[in-house]
Amino acid sequence: MIAAMPPLALVVLALLMGGVWPRLMARQTRFRYTPQAALLAWQAVSLGAIISALAAAPAAIPSFSGGRGLGDQWVLLALVCLVSGAVLISLLVSGHRVGTRLRALRDDHLALVDLIGADGQGRDRSVRVLEHPLPTAYCIPGRRSRVVLSQGTLEQLSTAELDAVLAHERAHLQARHDLLLEFFTVVHEAVPAPLRVPVALDEVRLLIEVLADRVAIREAGAVHTARALFAVAAGRAPDEVMSGGSAAGPRLQLMAGAHSTPWLTLLAYAFALASVLAPVALAVWPFTM
Amino acid sequence: MPDGPSSPTRLGDLERVVMETLWAHERGTLTVRAVHNELAADRDIAYTTVLTVLDRLAKKGMVLRERVGRSWEYRAAASRAELTAASMRHTMEDVDSGDRRAALMHFLDGASTDEVADLRAALAEVERRANPDA
Repeated sequence: MIAAMPPLALVVLALLMGGVWPRLMARQTRFRYTPQAALLAWQAVSLGAIISALAAAPAAIPSFSGGRGLGDQWVLLALVCLVSGAVLISLLVSGHRVGTRLRALRDDHLALVDLIGADGQGRDRSVRVLEHPLPTAYCIPGRRSRVVLSQGTLEQLSTAELDAVLAHERAHLQARHDLLLEFFTVVHEAVPAPLRVPVALDEVRLLIEVLADRVAIREAGAVHTARALFAVAAGRAPDEVMSGGSAAGPRLQLMAGAHSTPWLTLLAYAFALASVLAPVALAVWPFTM
Repeated sequence: MPDGPSSPTRLGDLERVVMETLWAHERGTLTVRAVHNELAADRDIAYTTVLTVLDRLAKKGMVLRERVGRSWEYRAAASRAELTAASMRHTMEDVDSGDRRAALMHFLDGASTDEVADLRAALAEVERRANPDA
């Protein structure tokens, strides 16, 4: 019966890392002060959940080898094969669906802003300016990337604030944050809808924004970055109270309370390492017995 | 500058120029010949190229065409301002659309639940920290 332990433990670990930990991690807002390490921990947990689920079936193989036959363990075998197979298929399907959808949206939008937008300063074609009074700024990631600004942004932000916005968007493009977000979206959608953890995706999104904010702060300073964020947020709120959900508040508070967090960073890295090593160890263990 | 992946395609450039020509005519219709005459004033361009570009734009739904007598006439399906307003609405208001949030990366995603006063206080704190003597 000992041989049945690792595959079952892997199934349990997959459930923990896929459903329970993300809920708990999303509440650990302290790690927003160390976004790089926190994002690595999030990736490691997602990866750990995937490894656990995929390795459950192969890890069961040694229990049936050595001429012992299937015996009464066929239930276990069926269970782990079901888990591993279902996870593999749903990951592939989710990856294909998300990838196709995102690329179609980006291609359509890129074609549109190339038609309706004006060139950025100095005839910069990678920057598109939309003739609209509301301040907005975003980027279209991909092979042909664009930074899109509205006329409202150009008029309401100072040059230094604009530099902060551009540094933020170019950080997204250069570090390919879109791929990171796509990975999390694929994993998120691979899980059956009732078991998904939307707060986890929101937290990861915020961490990615904080990471880009840090680049903007390095290039344009905290004050100009904070002012740019405030201007864009306030420019959209004619009635002083805004609806919907965004992260302007938390991001500004992070800029206000920035301090060094070596212990949190170390903790996040250790957690990341353990999240990947635990399932790998459990998967390899049966073959060494 | 080298023709890197970030530079728009030549066809994309032409689509843009053709749209601008149609927009300049305030929703009036133009024949392919008329569009070609306007474009040919500034550049060396074949009539068939203009026809191809208009055809592509029609397939994308950017221009409408109708048969007038023996020739086709083209006009922009929507003005630049209309398209811009629609695009801004799409990108800013679809807060719930996870797809759009993952497809485009916003400097500030959607609207905010925070009160402007709270944001102003947080901004003041950033400014105070940067310049404690002030």
